[in-house]
Amino acid sequence: MTVHPPFKTGRARLMASSLPLTALRNLQRHRGRTALSLAGIAVTAAMLLDMVLLSGGIERSFERLLLGRGFQIRISPQGTLPFDTEASIPESGRLEQRIRAVPGVEVVAPMLGGSLHALRGDSLVTLFGYGVEPDAQSLYELESGADLMPGDTTGLLLSGPASRLTGARPGDTVAILGRLDPQLMAARVERHLVARGTARWLYDYRGQPSVGIPLPVMQALQLERAEERVSAFAVRLHEGVDVDSVVRVLRREVPEVEVTSVAALVAGFRERLVYFRQLSYILATISLIIAFLLLSTLLTITVNERLGEIATIRAIGTSRGRVAAQIIFEGAFLTILGGGVGAMLGMATARYLDRILTSFPGLPATISFFVPDPSRLAAAAAVLLLTGSLAGGFPAYRAASLSIAQALRMEAP
Amino acid sequence: MLPVATLRVLLVLQALAPPTGPAIPDVALERRLAAALGAGVGDTIRLGTAAGTFPWRVRVAAVYEPRADPAAVPRRESQLVVHLPDLERMLGAVDRVDRFAVALRPGLAADSAAAELNRVAFGFRAHPSVEIASESSQTFRVVSRFHRAIAVIAIVASAIFLLCIMLLKVDERRLDAAAMRLVGVGRRTVFSALLLEACFISAVGSAIGVGLGWLAGSLVNAYYRRFFETQMVFALITSDIVWFSLGLSLILGLAAGTVAAWRLLRVQPLALWRRE
Repeated sequence: MTVHPPFKTGRARLMASSLPLTALRNLQRHRGRTALSLAGIAVTAAMLLDMVLLSGGIERSFERLLLGRGFQIRISPQGTLPFDTEASIPESGRLEQRIRAVPGVEVVAPMLGGSLHALRGDSLVTLFGYGVEPDAQSLYELESGADLMPGDTTGLLLSGPASRLTGARPGDTVAILGRLDPQLMAARVERHLVARGTARWLYDYRGQPSVGIPLPVMQALQLERAEERVSAFAVRLHEGVDVDSVVRVLRREVPEVEVTSVAALVAGFRERLVYFRQLSYILATISLIIAFLLLSTLLTITVNERLGEIATIRAIGTSRGRVAAQIIFEGAFLTILGGGVGAMLGMATARYLDRILTSFPGLPATISFFVPDPSRLAAAAAVLLLTGSLAGGFPAYRAASLSIAQALRMEAP
Repeated sequence: MLPVATLRVLLVLQALAPPTGPAIPDVALERRLAAALGAGVGDTIRLGTAAGTFPWRVRVAAVYEPRADPAAVPRRESQLVVHLPDLERMLGAVDRVDRFAVALRPGLAADSAAAELNRVAFGFRAHPSVEIASESSQTFRVVSRFHRAIAVIAIVASAIFLLCIMLLKVDERRLDAAAMRLVGVGRRTVFSALLLEACFISAVGSAIGVGLGWLAGSLVNAYYRRFFETQMVFALITSDIVWFSLGLSLILGLAAGTVAAWRLLRVQPLALWRRE
């Protein structure tokens, strides 16, 4: 018997082109079984998709947040990350000058954060205050009204929650109190500030009542003595300047503070959330194993059921390669169909899981845990397809290496 | 009420050679920090609030293992405990604290005491410990919800997998079922035999699964304890979890076995035989 090498002759090409149709027909023979297998692959593909989104999503989201205003470097008190502790940097004015003097630095944005109080009627409400320099700030995006202007010492920006808590709107005057003295039952500092507008504070957690205040006013409200003290600086570099080299220079020039690039901050963040990354890798691997086992079991049993049929088509001249390709194609076909359904299911579950994880207390509301990355998604799809095809490997080998005479004898009634 | 004041601050430490001078303050070092500094009980270290300046000399009076705190584990912060007056002096923050912990006399309700304090509060707020515990456990509630959601997806995937395997397994027995029916064995007996087989496979598979789960849990604990240098338990397999997993897999196995056996027995034995 002459066996043509597969995919070389016209007949083989014709047979190759009929692979999808044959696979579809074979899968239709046991519709219930196929549907269950598709459901299994869809769920595992959904899990794989979710875990791929989770594995690097939070880092991408965090990086996007940090770079959102174009500031590539953060400077904080030695041994801390920005706003990670209540530690602050003294003599910030002089330090700012030294930072500005470093080649490559375009903008230096000082900021001071801390608790403040506002009077609403007779009650005190607690707010979080950001002291900013309006012409160089990395913390907010204006939503409505007017921005603070350089030199403005009576302006105030409200977040949505702060506006609701204080009952103030742009144009209203708000009494802001600082340094409350529990023994004297009085505030040591009180400023009447005019709400210029509302802003979206990039690092606020959901519902955080924040206000933005010109830095000197915030320093007066917060600090015991008249001094220039800030929580952190954000630094923006001129375009094209190498961030790492400026970080090295800054560390040499201002050794008394912590100089961190956004890349290093993201790495630190990744370290803290290592659990989620590792969990995503483990669950993604388990998803692939389940998909592999499911498909290989299904295809093995299918091949066992079709031994007589396979022996017959081998006997009429179909090559071993063609038989093996048919089985592998069935695995790939199931994977593609199940993966397609799984992708839709995965996007829905990702949204649900993201809603759960973004309710972490203290997490910026703009952070997302499940962020698509085209290259990772493409890699995951390729790995899933490869897994589906490999799952057909053993049954394909079994079908291709079948002894025709023995199989026909076994199948004879 | 017995107030306990605390003041948290960032300190910079520097390991130093043998102690000099009298009456230097005592501190207690966390074990991990002591190991990092290479310091032990009796050693002297210097403290400062900024890099480069270490004006205070203190003696390590104790090295302690901090209570396992899931909130602190990922932060990997190091702690040392200083007497409050010493810390106030070091910081120049005399008569200033971050917070007070208050113990009430027996019989007094924390809620009403906190409400009473808040009635006259100005610049501070009193919280019952239960409220603080609830707030600080919010993170773990979120993680727990996330785990539950992931578990549901995993259970659905496993259930489908199990159903599929059981259906295939029983379907594979159709020749045997046809033969038994043809030699006169009753439907009920064949059905029971298939069900028993499904039950056996589910039970053995579940037992192996529990073993694998225990092994995976042990590996997770060993890895993360080493990774975070803590004695915390990260994966805890309770009897409830074991019974739930066993029960669920048995139920799913039996359900799949029942469906498959029922489908098989609906077909005439000869037709089954021919299908083979």
